[in-house]
Amino acid sequence: MKDPIEAIQTDALACIAAAADIRALEDARVAVLGKKGSLTEVSAGMRDVPKEDKAAVGALLNTARNAITAALEEKQLALQNIADQKALEGIDLTLPARALPHGSLHPLTLLRHQAISILRRMGFALAEGPEIEDEFHCFDALNTPQDHPARNEKDTFYFDSGKLLRTHTSSVQVRTMESQVPPVRIIAPGSAYRRDEIDATHLSVFNQLEGLYIDSDVSLGDLKGTLEYFFRELFGSGTEVRFRPHFFPFTEPSFEIDVKLHAKGQAPRWIEVAGCGMVDPAVFDAISASRKDGAYSPEKVTGFAFGMGLDRLAMIRWGIKDIRLLIENDARFLRQFA
Amino acid sequence: MNVSLNWLATHVDLKGKSPEELDKLLTFAGVEVEGIEVKGIASNKIVVAQIMEAVQHPDADKLKVTQVDAGEGQLRQIVCGAKNYQVGDKVPCALPGAALPGGFTIGEAKMRGVESKGMLCSASELGMVDAVDGLMILATDSPIGKPVKELFDNDVLLEVEVTPNRPDLLSHYGMAREMATLLEVPLAHLEIPERDGFTAEGVHIEAPEACPFYTAVRISGVTIGESPAWLKERLESIGLRPINNVVDVTNFVLHEIGQPLHAFDAAKVSGALVIRSAQDGEAFLALDGQTYPLLPEDCVISDEAGHALALGGVMGGADSGVTEATTDLLLESAYFTPSRIRRTSRRTALSSDSSYRFERGINPEGVLAGSALAIKLILEVAGGTAEAVTRMAGGIPSLTGAVALDLAKLDQLTGGSISYEEASTILTRLGLASNADDTWTVPAFRADLQRHIDLVEEIVRVKGLDAIPSRLRGSFVPSSPVDAAYDADMRIRERLAGLGFHECQTIKLIADAQLADALPLKPLLPGDTIRVSLPLSEDHAVMRPSLIPGLVASAARNVRQGAKALRLFELGRVFRNAGGGKAKDLESDSLGILLSGDAVPAGWARPDATADLYDLKAVIAALVPTASVQLVPRARDGFALAADIQADGQNLGTFAMILPSRQRELDAPQPIFVAELDLSKLRKFAAGSGPIEDLPQFPGSSRDIALEAPASLANAEIERVLAKIKEPLLTGFECFDVFRDPTGQKLPADRKSIAYRLHYRAPDKTLKTDEIDSAHKAVVTALTSGLPVTQR
Repeated sequence: MKDPIEAIQTDALACIAAAADIRALEDARVAVLGKKGSLTEVSAGMRDVPKEDKAAVGALLNTARNAITAALEEKQLALQNIADQKALEGIDLTLPARALPHGSLHPLTLLRHQAISILRRMGFALAEGPEIEDEFHCFDALNTPQDHPARNEKDTFYFDSGKLLRTHTSSVQVRTMESQVPPVRIIAPGSAYRRDEIDATHLSVFNQLEGLYIDSDVSLGDLKGTLEYFFRELFGSGTEVRFRPHFFPFTEPSFEIDVKLHAKGQAPRWIEVAGCGMVDPAVFDAISASRKDGAYSPEKVTGFAFGMGLDRLAMIRWGIKDIRLLIENDARFLRQFA
Repeated sequence: MNVSLNWLATHVDLKGKSPEELDKLLTFAGVEVEGIEVKGIASNKIVVAQIMEAVQHPDADKLKVTQVDAGEGQLRQIVCGAKNYQVGDKVPCALPGAALPGGFTIGEAKMRGVESKGMLCSASELGMVDAVDGLMILATDSPIGKPVKELFDNDVLLEVEVTPNRPDLLSHYGMAREMATLLEVPLAHLEIPERDGFTAEGVHIEAPEACPFYTAVRISGVTIGESPAWLKERLESIGLRPINNVVDVTNFVLHEIGQPLHAFDAAKVSGALVIRSAQDGEAFLALDGQTYPLLPEDCVISDEAGHALALGGVMGGADSGVTEATTDLLLESAYFTPSRIRRTSRRTALSSDSSYRFERGINPEGVLAGSALAIKLILEVAGGTAEAVTRMAGGIPSLTGAVALDLAKLDQLTGGSISYEEASTILTRLGLASNADDTWTVPAFRADLQRHIDLVEEIVRVKGLDAIPSRLRGSFVPSSPVDAAYDADMRIRERLAGLGFHECQTIKLIADAQLADALPLKPLLPGDTIRVSLPLSEDHAVMRPSLIPGLVASAARNVRQGAKALRLFELGRVFRNAGGGKAKDLESDSLGILLSGDAVPAGWARPDATADLYDLKAVIAALVPTASVQLVPRARDGFALAADIQADGQNLGTFAMILPSRQRELDAPQPIFVAELDLSKLRKFAAGSGPIEDLPQFPGSSRDIALEAPASLANAEIERVLAKIKEPLLTGFECFDVFRDPTGQKLPADRKSIAYRLHYRAPDKTLKTDEIDSAHKAVVTALTSGLPVTQR
């Protein structure tokens, strides 16, 4: 029995070694270890082996089976490695990526969010008001005389009801002071409307951000510190900020704010970014009359207000030369903000 | 307003101040400088040259060939067409390379075959006023070769924007007064003769509320003609066109001291001047040639016969003004009430330098001064004699008084950074006079200073905000519901951008025609749309009741640009009435989504797939991930496949496909799906999830079931039955396959096969096969008995 077993082992190992692929290896396994495999048949012949030889033949069979099984496993691994390698051959890493749709937030949203984030860090809370306003909240309470140029059918959209589309977000100042007691520290982003023909620098509907801080001791220093900090956060820490005296009916003193813009390839220049001022006592008087209390008596509180055009800030930030790009929603434009 | 520095320099010494320094000075005084233009000659290559010879051009009758000495050691040949010079005259000569004010550069050229090396210039070619027709003749002692610019004072023109509260700056004297204050230099005294005789004869005010003070002076025997050069130069230096000597004087006085004047031809005035309200519908022919219908709110200057001579403070009449034939004048100087002038000027769209000043408020004390100054100048430039008395009606309005300065408040507002002494100095420099009782008397030209805060404003303005230290502090305040809504909106925006959608911003005023694309949550009844009274154009006439019209317009624009995939959204406010106009001016926040074209961007590695309604449904589901989204069909005019969007049974918005006919109109190649959702409801879902559910402790199992059903049976019907089954082990189900065979071979064409995967699980043990089988059997029975379906 000894020779045939050794011969089977030798043959089988040779077949395994010669197997070129998984299939040939499987054939080799079946030929030896399958139901009718040569080693299986020899194993079946054990019952005919004389009792005194059984142990020796059994040991031989085990040795052969172990050697063949080990060889099969080893070869199996080797062949699998080759197959794995083959499977990766010729893959072109440089083909373009599968396309995923990339969405984007509108530049105004991006800019507004940045502005809001800075102001929230400084402790401002959001407020809002209607866009279809009445004259009281848009003009009267803001110390804007009846015959002020803005209160005119040519400059402001009116409705037959006598209401109007708010010309600034400053109306939210009034709404907030009517419903809350000081301290008030709010910002109100929102749309405003002016009867301007739409062109490269004008929209009849545009976006503003309003701010208001009313408390018992708000000073010009607070106004200056707050807005300097804001614009340095928005435009970069070294940004120069200047306050030019100006005139608004609802603040006094009033200022316009310029920042020095350093655009690539251009000489640095001052550009106007916001209007601001200390809330005019006449506004507090109007609020007091509307509230019928003394919470906003100009003897007790002072405050500052500011307003800025978000569309304009977005144009400055991204070098947008035509404001209409902000409402045309051309995907080639929007995609640049993905 | 245009300001000439040379003109200013007649009142205040500005020597040594560069235009840039003055720009900064004015800017920080609150006067916006919008432009600085250096007038006159800039080039060094325009020099004094003497004409040594002039001979006829051989081939051109109107040209001469000159030889000029420009100080170069040899003569220069220049061809010239002027006739006004003599050989020996000195004239400006532009050498090759000289840049002229018109923006062109002189070169060497042949003119009709004769070489010409430069150009001899007229005054206007150098940006100055022509005194003569032809070449500018320079003084005989002008040194040959010297740059001509050194012979003249160059002027600088400032274009400034004066804020409406500072009408006192709307003249050269007013501006000089401000600069003198800011620079702390003296202001020249204004030489105006006193006129001390008055009469109430000849002018009558019938409308004192519109015109509280009116004066007129008759000047007889004037000769209307051209103004002298100094006057023309002054007016031209600020861009005004000289007209005639009398009109030029009135314009000069207006820009000199800010007092508007009007000169009537006395021959056109019958009797006294009457200042009255216009009659309703009275027609007024203005000097611009237009006829304006007037209202009683307008003020007219008429003669005793009732003939309107001028629209008071705004514009003169067509037939009462000064002409070449005029010999006698009536010179008006008056104060008109600002609000009345503003109203008339706006309504008639008539505006003039006069109305601009009256509507902002002139210095009431300038009325008589302006008149006196103008009379003096008219007599100088047009001759004639003025009557000794001034015809006068009404009285000089008193608009200013004493204002208290509250030092405690000044300290509070400025953080104590401006001392009382500094404040006093500033107010004094501004022309205010301090009184014993801590009040300050305001000069007549500063009617804007009425309250304590107005004085503070002046002190801070002159001192500058730089002097006040910045302070970084503020009260803590609670966040508001608006904060919560904003945060939810940002999460929705970011999720949609993450899903490949581009955020849009569309204009909130839309066209009537766009209303057909609107998909508001509740359909619009007549009277539910909000129109502005006076739209700029029909394209922007209606407040948008829905975001879909704007998104459709944006989609159409992108289709025209060849976009293959349209994935757009917008968050924003929508406006409508409700109940056919019963509830008015409702504003709410909405989310609009539009999807069309490629479902995924086309590429080498993926098959093309066109987005369909289930893609949009998936996007909506992603916005409310914790809820189950269902589309419940509800027809909408103008849309196909319209449905209510429900999340856990709550109505969130509206879903629809754009009608194929509208899609073709938009030239869109693929179906367009849209959804509009109520943001106030959606925000609740975006606010985050509740407490977590514990994870199951035991494995579950699933069984599939295929049902044959009528093609018309909706998935929702089957799901409704599944949801109602009271089988405790059934924990979930989903549809995973739908099959139809339009040919009828594998399945009748009106039938479909719809397959569900059913999930079974017990919370407290691992289920045995027979337990699952029995639960599944109960589910199958419930389905087949409750619905017209059979198990396949």
